[in-house]
Amino acid sequence: MLELENISVTFNKGTPDESLLFDNFNLKVDEGEFVSVIGSNGSGKTTMLNLICGSLAPDSGRILFDGKDITKMSEFRRAKRIGRVFQDTKVGTCADLTILENMALADNKNKIFGLSRGVNPKRVDYYRTLLEECEMGLENRLHTHVGSLSGGQRQALALVIANMTDLDMLILDEHTAALDPKSSETVMHLTDKFVHKSKITSLMVTHNLRFAIEYGTRLIMMHEGKCIVDIRGEEKKNACVDDLLNIFNKISIEVGNNV
Amino acid sequence: MSSILSSIDVMLQDGFMYAILAMGYYVSYTILDFPDLTVEGTVLSGGVAFGLLVRAGVNPWLALVVSFLVGFAFGALTGFLHVKLGIRPLLCGILVSTALISINLVITVVGMGGTWAGDGALSTIELGRSVPTLLRTFPANLLPTDFYGFNVQRLVTFFFIALVCKFLLDAYLKTKNGLLLRAAGSNSQYVTMLAKDQRVCKVLGLAIGNGYAAVSGALIVQSRGNVNQGMGIGMVVIGLASLIIGLSLFGKVRFMKSTTAVILGSVIYQACLGLATLLGVPSAYNKIIMAVLFTLALVGSSALKKGAEKNA
Repeated sequence: MLELENISVTFNKGTPDESLLFDNFNLKVDEGEFVSVIGSNGSGKTTMLNLICGSLAPDSGRILFDGKDITKMSEFRRAKRIGRVFQDTKVGTCADLTILENMALADNKNKIFGLSRGVNPKRVDYYRTLLEECEMGLENRLHTHVGSLSGGQRQALALVIANMTDLDMLILDEHTAALDPKSSETVMHLTDKFVHKSKITSLMVTHNLRFAIEYGTRLIMMHEGKCIVDIRGEEKKNACVDDLLNIFNKISIEVGNNV
Repeated sequence: MSSILSSIDVMLQDGFMYAILAMGYYVSYTILDFPDLTVEGTVLSGGVAFGLLVRAGVNPWLALVVSFLVGFAFGALTGFLHVKLGIRPLLCGILVSTALISINLVITVVGMGGTWAGDGALSTIELGRSVPTLLRTFPANLLPTDFYGFNVQRLVTFFFIALVCKFLLDAYLKTKNGLLLRAAGSNSQYVTMLAKDQRVCKVLGLAIGNGYAAVSGALIVQSRGNVNQGMGIGMVVIGLASLIIGLSLFGKVRFMKSTTAVILGSVIYQACLGLATLLGVPSAYNKIIMAVLFTLALVGSSALKKGAEKNA
């Protein structure tokens, strides 16, 4: 499904701040997997997502998607098959547009944006049913500008929108990190529901160890541009937060010793 | 009394004329958040295209459409410099409008029978009495030129053109493509996630904005009866001030479209300028008054915004 082959990424190349993040990094994600990715700040989680989505190009190496080399493909072209929900709740939706307009745009994804009517009234009922699944009452606020919704509501809407198109892969970039505990629980629950329903291959970066263990079929822990833990199936089911915390602590001590 | 009536006549006419420019800014500045200085050049380009074509006997309505296309092309060029070459918005506008100073001049001179070296003819275009302008052709020529001191013919024609521009823009913004343009201005990452190139949206928006600026320029030429190479100067201030006055006074009024607010803003701005003239301020001070009014509009709009936030 997705393969990262021998990826190398260096930041601030040619300056005194030059730092090598990825050195021959490899990762293979199979179809239907729901991968949770954890790791400390600067371990390369978000960089990896940026590589997959195309907002960052690797210095060397290949990215294969469905067997096709997409290393040089632009971000917006990849977006045809890859959906993404960001940590920043403002990015997944348009603040100046209404819920209805946001959904109408998403409904037309991968089609032509021509001069026909932007919002098709016949689709409104369908949008309502989608919003009802969030159980946030958004279905009754179709004409509200998205900018006036709360972070949790915006993120739920962003999830609904990302799932409106028939995608091959869903990227969740710390999408619950900016939310309060209750909203983040709701959004995570929603995420799981969507992923289960559509059986979409997903990659979720999170700082919440419990989410990483409870949800998903595979767990990866990253550290300094490498996968130091990669478990799935039974092994993942048996993992607990304390085990992961132990590893985290060990890493921090190592890093501390190095300094 | 008659001088007051005739100034009201001019205020309204200028208001409608510049409203089209302000609507162009609504697309580039309000929707795309792009401070576009290209209009200083494209207003004149539109005027030159209109003046030369009408003088050559082309139907003035067709000439109006051509001037839109001319502005559209140069606006697209500004957009191209920005999205493809990564030049900052203000600089893109400065670059294109600077180049347009030469382009407009040479086209004018050549159109008037001069050489490509830029000499051998005047750099102004006069629309003499025999030239079939917008008002001298069907259907505007059916209207009376004088009605209690109002030039109904000119007023109705300009109002009609401003309205057509308004309805076309409103209709466009409701289409799928228009919605995408608004999305590009609000959150360009959203457009990327819709698997569309947000750069194309930006180029298109700037093209439309400058197309409208050029139509405005054509009407200025129609109104003054000539093309003057200096007529683009000050257009940024007129367009933006009209836009900001309109949106800050009427933007929050329910059931009023932003484009309507912009037309009203333009009329109010021209009325303030006209009032200054009526009160005896010499025309040499015109640009100072424009700048002061613009400053007031900017301060006023941010004060209104703060007030609204406090109330919320």
